This record gives sequence, C-alpha cells and structure tokens, in this order.
Amino acid sequence: MNQCLLCDQEFIAPIMFHQIFSLTKLSPSQLCPHCLSKFEKLNKICCPICSKNTEEAKICADCQLWQEKYQGNLLKNIALYRYNNYFHDLMVAYKRYGDFELHHVLKELCQSDVRKLQADLYVPIPTSPEHQAQRKFDTVSAIFEGIVPLTPLLKKKSGSKAQGEKNRQQRLRNSQSFLIDKNIEIGENVNNLNIILLDDIYTTGATLYHARDKLQEGFPNAVIKSFTICR
Amino acid sequence: MDSSIFKETSKIAVIENGKCNRCGSAVKSELPNGKLYCRKCIGIGRAVEGDYLVRNQERISFSKLSNGGLTWHGELTTLQKQISDQLVLNFQNKENSLVHAVTGAGKTEMLFNLISECLKKGQRACIATPRIDVVNELYPRFKEAFFNVKIGKYHGREFKKPDLDQLTICTTHQLMKFYQAFDLLVIDEVDSFPYAGDPQLHFAAKQAVKIEGVRAYLTATPTEDLLQEIKQGRLKLLKLNRRFHGGLLPVPKEKLFLRAYLKKNQINPNLMKEIVNTIKKDHPLLLFVPRIEQIPVYVKALQREKQLENIKIAGVHASDPDRIQKVQDFRDRKFQILVTTTILERGVTFKNVWVIIVAADDPIYTIASLVQIAGRVGRAKEDSDGLVLYCYHKYNKNIRGAIKQIREMNQ
Repeated sequence: MNQCLLCDQEFIAPIMFHQIFSLTKLSPSQLCPHCLSKFEKLNKICCPICSKNTEEAKICADCQLWQEKYQGNLLKNIALYRYNNYFHDLMVAYKRYGDFELHHVLKELCQSDVRKLQADLYVPIPTSPEHQAQRKFDTVSAIFEGIVPLTPLLKKKSGSKAQGEKNRQQRLRNSQSFLIDKNIEIGENVNNLNIILLDDIYTTGATLYHARDKLQEGFPNAVIKSFTICR
Repeated sequence: MDSSIFKETSKIAVIENGKCNRCGSAVKSELPNGKLYCRKCIGIGRAVEGDYLVRNQERISFSKLSNGGLTWHGELTTLQKQISDQLVLNFQNKENSLVHAVTGAGKTEMLFNLISECLKKGQRACIATPRIDVVNELYPRFKEAFFNVKIGKYHGREFKKPDLDQLTICTTHQLMKFYQAFDLLVIDEVDSFPYAGDPQLHFAAKQAVKIEGVRAYLTATPTEDLLQEIKQGRLKLLKLNRRFHGGLLPVPKEKLFLRAYLKKNQINPNLMKEIVNTIKKDHPLLLFVPRIEQIPVYVKALQREKQLENIKIAGVHASDPDRIQKVQDFRDRKFQILVTTTILERGVTFKNVWVIIVAADDPIYTIASLVQIAGRVGRAKEDSDGLVLYCYHKYNKNIRGAIKQIREMNQ
C-alpha cells in the first residue's frame, strides 16, 4: 500500500505489464491516481515555440514579444502541464512553505518525459543563495536530480528577488541576474553543444531567456532549448 | 532572537524524539541536510529539527466587562434555557460539557450566557469549529450579540497574525497558534471533518486551553471518543433531544443485500423496489453512494429503468460546478431522485425527502454521517416521519451505533 503525499490517503499503485519485467527498480509511487488526475496535460494545440495552449497552433502573445526583442532568435520550450490551481497549490507548498518531500511528486509528474530529452548538457535554473539558505534545498535541482545528469553551469547573483514575488511588468523589465560558474568542468568538446535548460514553471519566459543569453555568451556555438513542467 | 528577554516565555525544541511539539504529529520527513521537518503543520511555518518553539505564558488580565459584554436581548425557550444555565454552572464548577442537541435546536443562542459569564470574570474565551463556513457564520452572530467586544476571527483563507483578543472565533486548525491561552474553549460541530479523528487537531485543542481551563463541545452526533469521555466522567452530557416541532427522529430501516447493488448496469431488484415505492408515494429521494465515480453510473442505470420512466434523475458531488443550482432544483422538485455523496449529509433541508444509503457498511460512513443523513428526513412539522434505509452487505458497528444513537435520542 502506498501513501499519497498530496492527500495523505493510502492507495494501491496500478502496475503496468512492462514494469513487471523491467530491470530498472521503480521507486514506489507517492501520488495517487485521484490527485494525479487533477493535473492537466497540455494539449497538442499549442504555441509551437513555448508549448502554451492556444486557440490555434500559432505563436502566442508572449513569444511575439520575445520575437520583437530578439529579432526571431526564440527559445524553444517543451512543457507538460497547464499551470492550473492544483499546480499552483503544489508549487506554493513546495517553494513557499518548503515542503521538500513534494519533489517526489514533481519528479513523478515529469520523469518519463525528461528521460526522453536528448542533450549533451542539462542545466538547471538556479535559486538565489538567500532562498536556498532559507529553504535548505534547491527547488529545481531537487526535482531533476537522478533523472538526467545535471550540470549546474548557472548561478544566481545574490540579492535578486524571486520571480514569484514580482508582477508581469517587473519580470519583463528585469535585468540579467545569472552568472556562469567558471569552476564547472564540461570536458573537451565545447563546440556545437546541445544544451537543455530545466525549470519548473514558464510564466513570461523572462527567466529562461536570461539564462539562455548568459549561457550563449559562454558557449556561442551551443544550441540551447528549455524544458519546464508547467506552462 | 534570545527569548529570555521576554518575561514568562518558555522555549522548547520544536521537534523532539521524532515528534512535533507544536502539532503532536510523528515526524518522518527529512531535508537534504538530514534535519527532520514536520509536514503536518507546515502551513503555519515549517518546523525544523533544531528550531525552538517559544511560548508566551504571561497571564493577561482583561477588563471585567459588565454583563460580560452581552448586548443580546432575545429569549431562549425553556429547553434552551435549561441547557444554557447548566453550561454556565458547569463553567463555574470548572467542569467540561458536551451539548448533544439535534440540528436546528438553536445551539448558538445557548452559548451566549456561557461566553458572557467568562468575559464577566475578565477571562479569555474561544469558539473553534472545524469548518471555515461555520466560522464565517458564527462571527456576525457573536458580533451582534457582543457588540462592544473586539472579536478575533481567524481561519486559513484570510491570513492574520493572532492577537490578544478576549473573544476569539477560529477554525480548529488555528488553535495550533495558541498555547494555554483560553479559560474557556467551545468547539462547535465537534464531530465533523477534519477535527473528528484527527489526532493533530485534538492535540492542538488540548494545548490551547489553560490547565485549569474549561471545555464545552457542541454536536448533533457525538463521536465514540466523546461518549467514552462521558462514561469516564470527564465530560458532562447535556442533552436536547427534541426537534423544534417536538417530533421524533425517524428510525432507520436496515436491509441485507446478498447480491451486488448494481450489476451490468442493472440495479438490484430489491433496491429498485424501495426506490419505486418512494417515488410512488410522491417523496423526493436522496440516494447516497460512497464514491463520486459511482454517481454517473447509478444515474445512468436508474434512467434506463422502465419503472422510472418520466422520472427526472440527477447526480451531484462536492466539486460539481452546478452543485448549488442542482441542490436548489431538487428542493424545487425539478427532479425526483438525486444521487449524491456525503457532501449532502449535513446542513441541507429538503421538504418530505426520503433517503436510501447504498452500501451503508462502506468505511466512508461514520456513525456521525449515518445519523446526519437520517436527520435529513422528517424535518417538517406536518411530515415528521419517513423512510431512512441503510442497505448493507455486512452489518457493522457503525450501522448499529447510528441506530442506537437515534433510538436513544428518541427516548
């Protein structure tokens, strides 16, 4: 019997046929089917750039702004779920209240899709040192750790306010708040790297665009894309 | 901050021996640095191993209000007055009370004298309840009855730091923020979710009262642990077992089912007989099923029944966007059968309604739920009897307990 981290109720996890014969050891599920069903997967009709669900499969308003700003050099983002109220509650509990255990839930929601991502480097979006000191864990790395090998190339300048505390205008006006960690070794071949940035939520895109700009400075020939759990 | 600068504060480790000292829960979750933290009470700030819980035990003296601040001039019925007087007496004698009164008996009014007695002495009182809606309902009534008293109102939907109010109205969750603070703690709807059966909230309620403080519980359906406390003499039972119309509560009928209630989209013929009988006698029917997913299945099966041709049937559950409208339509007799779950167990009145509980032996139905559901029937003066049917495969102690409780209330 498993216990759900979100509703506390005990449940019997459904077993898939292929899991019985699978060699990889599965961590027991901590998300019951009822709670799982509350998270909405994004549907196929979406913005081709950032995965936002739109009326037609056209570039969304956010991406149009970025298109102007970057003269077409857009960031391709893959996202899985819609940021609905249940997701909001989950993220509030995880990030604001610091309920570290919930990283298991977020992992469960995205791991099969994250494993499919092909890249040379997987770079998590960092948290500011102040937040990390307060929470005692790194919110993004904790989710993706163990699914793919992470390369923490980016660091956040101290003193930068969290995105969640700012409104849309403030976020878009924001200046660069990332640094490249010079101490990280990434091997010989730094040309034509495929890099995927990993984050939890894509709201305006400001964070990910800044992160990309910084990385591109260090690796001018790299192809950079991003992955977020929510859009 | 060094707490020793405040006089009369005490400081203890918040997590001790794998237990949270703020909410009483067992703590198992760990941060990456190996420190334990409590998930149960994380909503009021994360308690991490190594942190301290600082409590202010300073004795605050409030002004002794003349007449206890009571500005209410209504009148109690004879039965209400008996209970009200007994509550005051028990408070004076420092005895805990349990008011077991049927719904609609006017419990709130019976509290006014008790609260005023406490405030009169310059002491501090709190009315707590498991449900936010009940807090919102109680607050304006007390505001009116105690016009000049500043009342602190706290629940999870509106954040406010706890203040030194002489009278507090809050949810049982908020009690975690108080430590030996109240001379009188009243808990309304003490049998309801989430307070009932939640050791964390019971711990909080115990911690919030002063050692020499007094507790009073209100309920229409006392839970087993409260009845146990009465037996042990730790609670005094005050009973008000008449509905306002003076009639008795209808005693449920039990029926054993050997076959499935629903098989291949066919309702069990014995169950059908009861449903058809209710409809023939022109009573609207509430059909309770244990789980939300079963509602559409039952609705469909009922709609296909030949005997129920021209009968309108609907289903409603907690997160149904049309919930309020459907409940109103059922009240207006726009359909005859409403399939539902325990969300309609309390706080709703339908004229002349009869009820059938499918799988009354399901663990989701506690004694309190079964009694509350039975309490939907016979609420009108001219139609004070009716059918309450508990269908079961396996007779259990909740069914027995519910029927026993109803019989006792009728004596």
